[in-house]
Formats: sequence, structure tokens, C-alpha cells
Amino acid sequence: MQEISEEDRKRILQSSPVGTWALMLTVGIGFVIAWLFLYYGVFMPRGIVD
Amino acid sequence: MDFHNIHIDPLEKKWIYVSLAIAGLFASLTLINSLFNGINAPSNVETIDSARLHLTKEFAEDNLGVQVDENGKITARMVAGRYSFFPKHITVPADTRLTFRWVSIDVLHGVHIPMTNMSTMIVPGYVSEVTTVFPKPGKYPILCNEYCGLGHDHMWSNIVVVAKEHWSAPAETQSEGNTNDG
Repeated sequence: MQEISEEDRKRILQSSPVGTWALMLTVGIGFVIAWLFLYYGVFMPRGIVD
Repeated sequence: MDFHNIHIDPLEKKWIYVSLAIAGLFASLTLINSLFNGINAPSNVETIDSARLHLTKEFAEDNLGVQVDENGKITARMVAGRYSFFPKHITVPADTRLTFRWVSIDVLHGVHIPMTNMSTMIVPGYVSEVTTVFPKPGKYPILCNEYCGLGHDHMWSNIVVVAKEHWSAPAETQSEGNTNDG
């Protein structure tokens, strides 16, 4: 594994965690879309239940 | 333990807020549909003597199946018993509010009509009442989804959903709900 310089290490640690944000947004948005599809696209068109 | 002094990583804290926001969104949408569109978990609690179903007015053999009362309310009365649902075939209209009243003659059963929202447990000693609508005409199986014995796999029945204009009410219109104390 290639060693990174101390300068690069500091830059990475101080920068915004873009990858983590991307992962959080992808999971969050995907989860919401899947839930909305199941609720409004599958459950509701099958008729009310009471 | 002092929970106020626990260190939570700022990023983790943000993820907690996102999770709570998502859960709040789902709960709000469910609540709105419950309040304004009448979508609720079936919650009828009504007891009945499972050993004397044939002696009750409502679930006597001649009274089973689909009936329409004087107010136009359509009710399907069904008995579940090892290993079938009675009557074996019923026909109901699409896009119409239907009330199903299910009882068990023996053990715990479940009922599930695939591709619809009709699904409930049928507990001996209780009447399971579910009101629903079948938007799409077609033939659907009625399946038992609670293991009830060796013949459970073969416990099924049929329901035919026809377009509203092609459905005619059965001749008999004797609806006798809520008279099953015993």
C-alpha cells in the first residue's frame, strides 16, 4: 500500500466527508423512494382496508 | 449513566436526524391517510361461540356468502374450517366497499387474498371483520396463511371480482350482524 504524505493525511481528515454524505443520501433517498412506491404504488391501489 | 455527556460524532448525529426525519415522514403520511382516507388496521372485537356457529342466525349454512342489506351494504360472511373456506366460491363487485366477516369453526386460521389488501387472522371465538375494496376485476384465490394442520396447504377457496355493472345482488337479503352473543 502506498504511503500518503502527512500533508495529504491532514487535508483528507479536515475535508468534508463527501463519500459518507453521498452514501447517506443514496441510502436515505433510496429508502424513501422504495417506501413511497410500496405505499402509493402497491398498497393504496389495492383498495382501502378498514 | 449520564447520557448527556456521551460523545456522538457530529456526522453520526446528522444521520440520526435524517433517520428521524424519514421515520417522521412515514408516520405523517400514514396518519394523514388514516384520518382522511379511512385506511386503518381492522380493529373489530366481537366474540362468538365457535362450537355453535351453525346454530347462530348469522353464520348458519344458509346465511353464508354475499348479501346486501336494505341500506345497500354488501357483506360477505365466511366460515373457515379445516381445510377450506365456506362457501367455496363467492362473487363480489369491483370498486365497491365490501365488508367481510370471517369466523373459524375450529382452530386458528388466516386469510389472504393475493394482490389485494384482504388479509387477516381468524381467531376461534372472535369475528374478524374487514372492510375493503377490490379495484381490479378478476379471479383470486382465498388462501389460509396460518398453519392449521396437515391439510393447510390445500386450504383455499375462490373469489371472483366482477365489474360493478355486471354484478347483481343475490336474491336473499338477510343481513344479521352483531347478533352472535353466545
